This record gives sequence, structure tokens and C-alpha cells, in this order.
Amino acid sequence: MTARRRTALRLHRELARIWAPDPRLRGWLTTSNNNDIGRLFLAVATAFFVIGGLLAMLIRAQLATPGSAFMGPEAYDQVFTMHGTVMMFLFAIPFFEALSMLVLPGMLGTRDLAYPRLGAYGLWVYVFGGSAVIVAMLLGLAPDGGWFMYPPLTSAAFSPGIGADVWLLGITSIEVSAIATAVEVIVTVLRYRAAGMSLSRMPIFAWYILVVAVMILTAFPPMILGSLLLELERALDWPFFQVENGGDPLLWQHLFWLFGHPEVYIIFLPAAGMIATILPVMARTTLLGYGWVVAAAVSLGVLSFGLWVHHMFTTGIPHLGLAFFSAASTLVAVPTSVMIFAWIGTLRQGRVRMELPMLWIIGFFATFIIGGLTGVMIAIVPFNWQVHDTHFIVAHLHYVLIGGYVFPMIAAVYYFQPLLTGRFQVFRLGGVAFWLVVPAFHVTFLAVHLAGLLGQRRRTWTYDEGQGWEVLNLVASVSSFVMAIGFALVLLDVAINTFARARGPRNPWGAGTLEWAAPMPSPPYGFASIPIVGSRYPLLDDPRIDLKIARGEGYLADTSRSRRETLIVTTAQGAPAQVAVLPCNSVLPFLLAVVTSTAFLAPLVKAHAVSVLALVGVVAVALVWVWRLAPARMEGPVDAGHGAMLPLASETPDPPGWWGSLFLLLADGVHFGALLFGYAFLWTVAPNWPPPSFLRPDVAGPALALGGAGALALAPRLAVRAIGAGRGAGPAVGLAALAALALAGAAGSVMLERPDPAGHAHDATLWILAGHVAFHAGLVLIMLFYLALRLVAGKALRIGEARIVGLWADFTAATGLVALGAAWLPGVLA
Amino acid sequence: MTGILRIALPLTVWLAGFCAIYALQGLGCSRHWPEGLDRRATLIAAAALFVLVQTLILLAVLYRPSGFRFVQATATLLAGAALAAAVWTSLPVLTLEICG
Repeated sequence: MTARRRTALRLHRELARIWAPDPRLRGWLTTSNNNDIGRLFLAVATAFFVIGGLLAMLIRAQLATPGSAFMGPEAYDQVFTMHGTVMMFLFAIPFFEALSMLVLPGMLGTRDLAYPRLGAYGLWVYVFGGSAVIVAMLLGLAPDGGWFMYPPLTSAAFSPGIGADVWLLGITSIEVSAIATAVEVIVTVLRYRAAGMSLSRMPIFAWYILVVAVMILTAFPPMILGSLLLELERALDWPFFQVENGGDPLLWQHLFWLFGHPEVYIIFLPAAGMIATILPVMARTTLLGYGWVVAAAVSLGVLSFGLWVHHMFTTGIPHLGLAFFSAASTLVAVPTSVMIFAWIGTLRQGRVRMELPMLWIIGFFATFIIGGLTGVMIAIVPFNWQVHDTHFIVAHLHYVLIGGYVFPMIAAVYYFQPLLTGRFQVFRLGGVAFWLVVPAFHVTFLAVHLAGLLGQRRRTWTYDEGQGWEVLNLVASVSSFVMAIGFALVLLDVAINTFARARGPRNPWGAGTLEWAAPMPSPPYGFASIPIVGSRYPLLDDPRIDLKIARGEGYLADTSRSRRETLIVTTAQGAPAQVAVLPCNSVLPFLLAVVTSTAFLAPLVKAHAVSVLALVGVVAVALVWVWRLAPARMEGPVDAGHGAMLPLASETPDPPGWWGSLFLLLADGVHFGALLFGYAFLWTVAPNWPPPSFLRPDVAGPALALGGAGALALAPRLAVRAIGAGRGAGPAVGLAALAALALAGAAGSVMLERPDPAGHAHDATLWILAGHVAFHAGLVLIMLFYLALRLVAGKALRIGEARIVGLWADFTAATGLVALGAAWLPGVLA
Repeated sequence: MTGILRIALPLTVWLAGFCAIYALQGLGCSRHWPEGLDRRATLIAAAALFVLVQTLILLAVLYRPSGFRFVQATATLLAGAALAAAVWTSLPVLTLEICG
């Protein structure tokens, strides 16, 4: 054995020990490694795909013949609602998040994601929330108002059971998981990369997933707000959507589609990222027009937020408003076409090999382009009016979602399978599955298109004979079952190949990106040393880079500190900047998920006291979590290799927690913006406005608010200055706590002045605005309590910690002033 | 982060402007619109301002370039796209009835 090989083997053994999960069952509950969490995520999301698929089969069985007695309307309503809900929320988003968790660190050349424990927490919240929704369905308590849950159908008057609550609470808890993963992905892409990996050298998938993660942070909050408002209306009769008391059901549609339309692109863009990754490898070339594709992905991500009203063309909105959204809807065809042409050009410049991933990508092209074209058709208002709520829309969305998402994801699973399992795919059963799924898909949904054009409405449990729909529905149902058999074969094929095929060589496709430089299957530590790259395709430049990495010729190959370390780089240039110490195995993410999910789900069984207790548990576990993460002592710069002495991330002014908070506050800010939008919408449009009276503030409330906000903005800065100067930060922490209490007091005064939020949507909205302020003041107080505990324990505060609290304090102060100003201003002006 | 912000800014401003024009149209058709204020003229003025802002962003990207070539090229492309999007999505204010 050569000295170099001995070095590689020693490094592997030491890193394997440091990064090892706990043994047996405990290991599954305590692991936070991206390989383990990603696999669990993938398995659970696949299980939900199977459930969603079975529900689809039930729908097609019901619609196969007119007047079918297979299901009654009550069961059918639950089945189609759950099909949409499961596929959109429990399968599509978690599935790409799972794949991203598995392959993104490898692509970027880092050892794990930025917040491994946050990833584990997101997984368990998803598992608990998703399971609750499925259990409710099995008990016959599923939601039945359609996956977009329009009130007044879903209000307490028309949906009196707990079905709608299952949707509102269960799905919102899952959205917490999506937001956690999005924050993790953004910070990882921006900061956790190989040395030298500048923005222009990032793998194309990283760009796509960065755009998608930002979209999740900006699209989900309006939906979360909508769910909160509808649940408050159902539980406490706060009339946000009740016209007679100043509400408006159209507000729900706006909030839902502010999320719902970007959601389509949140699902499509990761698939597009996979195509842009896989297709050049299959064509034995590199991606044509990398910069154009990046620009197209960013454009598509932003433009998709300007389309939400195109789902509301039949709601009576003035024609000019419709024209704005019709114009914006046609616009998205441009960046989509840029991508498609870049991919076609890539195929043209390369030599395509027809492996299984490529076959599914061809299936994508054949299907998604048709879905895109019918999308342009329904962007045109008069056509939209004709086909709104018909099966034409059902067919269009399935062309986009199955063609644009499921097919590329299957391609990705086949493409990355060697990396994840260490085994190489043999091209047999998968080919048969492809030829069952894709033709059957087109037969199914061509027939559904035609049935829609002939006037068949969606969400109707049956239809009468003699309308010309019988043959079309029968054809669609039969071919849909063929498609289901094909999907089952895909699952069987993947399972067989995961467990039974022979071990394959490293980098079997001849790809150029870094994930293929890791051992197969990827060990928990990913890379033995952090790679140094000089181009977008490091493996094409240097096919032996994998050996250099394994021999420890990159950064952080020194294992003497015996902890999980990875490199943080500068955002634009990718220059080594800090050393991040990642957390070890812990049961805390699992525990936090248990109490979080209990807090969300206990109200379903009217266990409100349990929910409150669980919230206390959330605070307690979170405090233990951060307490244990905080390093015991300051170390100063550490040797990162190659002569670089780098500071530990926790000792810098912008530790990973600061970056995570920054992006979480982006989501929080959008949530707040959506709340202001809702208030303005009701004020402008709702029929029963103005309310009987506006709130007229006295002097005390605004004085508390102004004083509190000012002091809250100032105190963390004083704390940072004191820490920097080596003085005690106790007085600043105390001042910040008083300021947060003052702001909460101002919010409380609004609630005291308007004691009946159930009386009018205006008063209910004031409670939500004041609740926003009080909640954030409470959050800041919890953070200050943590800092105070550290001071009492005699531990020195770090500037980074104080700056994180400062971010939240600034946000609370700024939005608090705006929220309370919005509550008081109409009364002042009146 | 400056590079990322340069790339993100032009279309984010488009989104804000697009929403503002739509909100203005909603306000124009509401009971709160001041008597005597011409709805179409106001909307056209707002659309012109919107296009002007996007033009200024494009000029700023061109004449205050990033030191990083990839960021500069991408930001320029997106600023051009945002300007085109602003023009295209503002066109309806010239043609259609405001509240019909």
C-alpha cells in the first residue's frame, strides 16, 4: 500500500468515526446527517406519492362510467381534495427537498448542509403533520373542500366537521418544514461551498434550488396567513371571510393564489434544475448558455409571483385587472422558452446517449411543452372563461406537473441512484415502465382535455349519460390504470436496483460536477477534504480530483480537533472565509418536532390546554438546543490547511445563525406584508366597510410604541458595542427587555380597546396586527432571556449572538410601528 | 451578497411596481377614490413612472458595473428583461376600461 493510499484510508477512518450516526434505532432519531435525513425524506415522500396515486385511481374508477355507484359525493369530495393535497404538499415539495438534501452538499463540495439539525427537525415535523392528515382521511375526517379550500364552502357553516381544520393545521405545520429546509438550502448555497467555487462556477442545480428556496420563503407566508385567518374564523368566529361582518371570501383567494401560483414554479424549477444537470451529461457535453439559463430561472421565479390573479379570472375582477395578469401570464413563456432552447441547443452540440434518465427527459419535453402551450391558452381571458373549472384545466395542470415535475424527478432518481446506493442501474425494467407511463399519460390526459372542452366540470362526483363524455372518460380511466402500473414498475425497478445490482464504478456517467468525486455511496462526511475548484466542471478539468480530495489535499483535512468541520466561503468569489463546526447527533430535533406538531394538531381534538403546554415545550426545547450549540470557549483562528488560519464561524459577527435569521425574517416580512395587503384589501373592496367605528388611540399607546420601538432598535447595538469593548452587556440586555415589554404593552392596548374581534373584520384584523407585534416582542424576550441566562452562568456573550438578537429586535421594532400605525391611523384621520 | 442583490433587484422592482399598478387600479375602482381625479391619467402616470424606474435601474447596472463579470452580465440581462416586462404589463392601462 502506498503512503498516499494509507493517508486516504486513515483519513476515511477518522472522519467516519467523527461523523458516525448513533447505532440502531436511536441512530434514526438522532441523526442529522444530510444522507440519512435525505433518504428518510425521500422514502416518506415516495410513500405519500403512492397514497396520492391510489387516490387518483379511485377518482378515475368513479369517473369511468356515468352515474357510477362506486363512491358517493361525500367520499368523492374527500378523495379529490386529498389527492390534490397529498400530491402538492406531501409529495411534490418534500420530494425535491429530499433529493436536494442528498445531492446538494456534494455538488457544492461541502460536507453537509448549513443547519443539519434544522433539516432533521423539518423531516420530523413533515412526518408527523403528513401522517396526521392521512390518519384523518382513513378515519373519514378528511377535508373535502378542494385542495384550495375556498371559503365560504370551507367556513364553519358549510364545513362543520374537523376536515377543514385537518387541512389548515396539518398542512400549515408541514409548511414550517418547507420553510426550515428553504432557509437551510439558501445559506448552504450562498456560504457552504468548495474553495474557489464562485457564483459563476456553481453547478446549475444550485442556482435553480437557490431561486426555489427564496420562492418558498416568499410564497408560503401568504398561505400560512390565510390558513391562520380561516382557522381563526372557524374556531373563534373572527369574520375575515364573512361578507355580512366586513369580511370577503375573495381575500382567501388572493392569499391562496399568492402562494398557489408560485407553487407551480416552486415545483417546476427544481425539476428544470435536474434537467439542466442531467441533460448535458447525457449529451456528453456542457450546458449551453449557462448565464442565460441562470437569468431565465431567476426571471421565472420572480415573474411567477405576478400571475396569481389568473386563477381568479371568473371572480368579477375588472377587465383591466385581468389584462394585467393575462399579460404577465404570457410573459412567463419567454424565460421558459430560453431554458428549453438552451437544452435543445445542448443536445444539438453534444452526442446523446439514450440511457434511462435521458429517456425520461425526452418524456418531459414531449409532455411539458404541450402543458406550457395549453398554459398560454388559458392565460388568454376569454378562453379561460370558457374552460374555467372544467376538466381542461385538470388536464393542463397534470401535463405541467407530471410532465414538468414527475418525469424529470424520475430521471433524477435514475441518474443519482449510483451515487446514492453505490450500484449502477441496468436498463431493463425501467425502460418498460417508461413505455407504459408516458404513452398512457398522453392518452389519459388528451381524453381529459377533450372532455373539458366538451364541458365536463371538475369536482363533480358523477355525470349523466348522453353528454358525449362517456367514451372519453372510459379511455382516460383505462389508460390511467396502465400509467399507474408503469409508475409501480418504476418503484419496483428502483427498489431492485437499490438492493440487488452489482457495485458500479465511481462517476459512471462521466459527469463534471463535484458530487461524483465523493465515494459511492457517499459517506456521512461527504468529502475527506474540502475540494479546491477552478472551473464549473472540476471533474472534467481534473479527473483525478477525487483522489486528491480523498488524500486530504483540500481544506480541513486535519481531524485532530475531532469535530465535524466544514468550510464557509465568501458569497461571490468562493474564497475560504470561516470554519463552521456542525453539530453532533442529537435527539433534540425530534423532540422539538414532537412538541411543535402537538401544538399544531392538539386543537383538532379540542385539546387546547395540551396545545399551550406544547408551545411551552417548544420554547424549552429550543432554549436547550441553542444552549448546547454554543461553544464553551473562544478559540481564535484555526488552521484550515493550505496555510489558511480562519476564524470559527461562531466567533464572527455574521455566524450561520445570523444568516439563517436574515432569511427567516424575509419570510416573516412577507407574512407581515401579506397581512397589510389583507387589511388594505378589506378596507378597499369588502362590501360592509367602513366598520361601525375606527380605533382612536390615546397618548399612552403610541408613546409606548414609539419609546419601545426606539429602545428596541438601540439596545442590541449597545450590547454589540459593549461586547466589542469588553464591557458587560447586561444593561443593554435589560433595556431591550423593557423595550420589548413596552411594545407588547402597546399591542395589548389595541386589544383592550377592541374587546370583540368577532364583531367585524376590522376589529379582527386589529387583533391580528396587535398579535403580530405581541408575538414578535415575545420572541425577542425569549432570545433576551437566553442571553441573560448566559450572563448569569458567567459565559461571555459573542458579538454574533447579540447581532442575531439585534436582527429580530430591528424587525420587531419596525413592523411593530407599522402594524400599530396601521391600526391607529384610520381613527386619527377619521 | 452584493452580487446576489444586483441580480435580484431589477425583477423584484418589477414585481413591486406591477403590484402597485394593480393596487392603484383597485383603489381607482373603490369608494375611496377622490372625486375629480382622472383614473386613466393617474394610471398612465404611474405606469410611466414604473417604466422610468426600470430604465434607471438598467442604466445604473450599465454605468455602475459590478467588478464580477458574471454578475454584471446576468444583472444586465435581467434589468433589460425587467424593463421589457414593465412595458408589456403596463400596456393594458392605455387600452381597456378602468373599472369595466
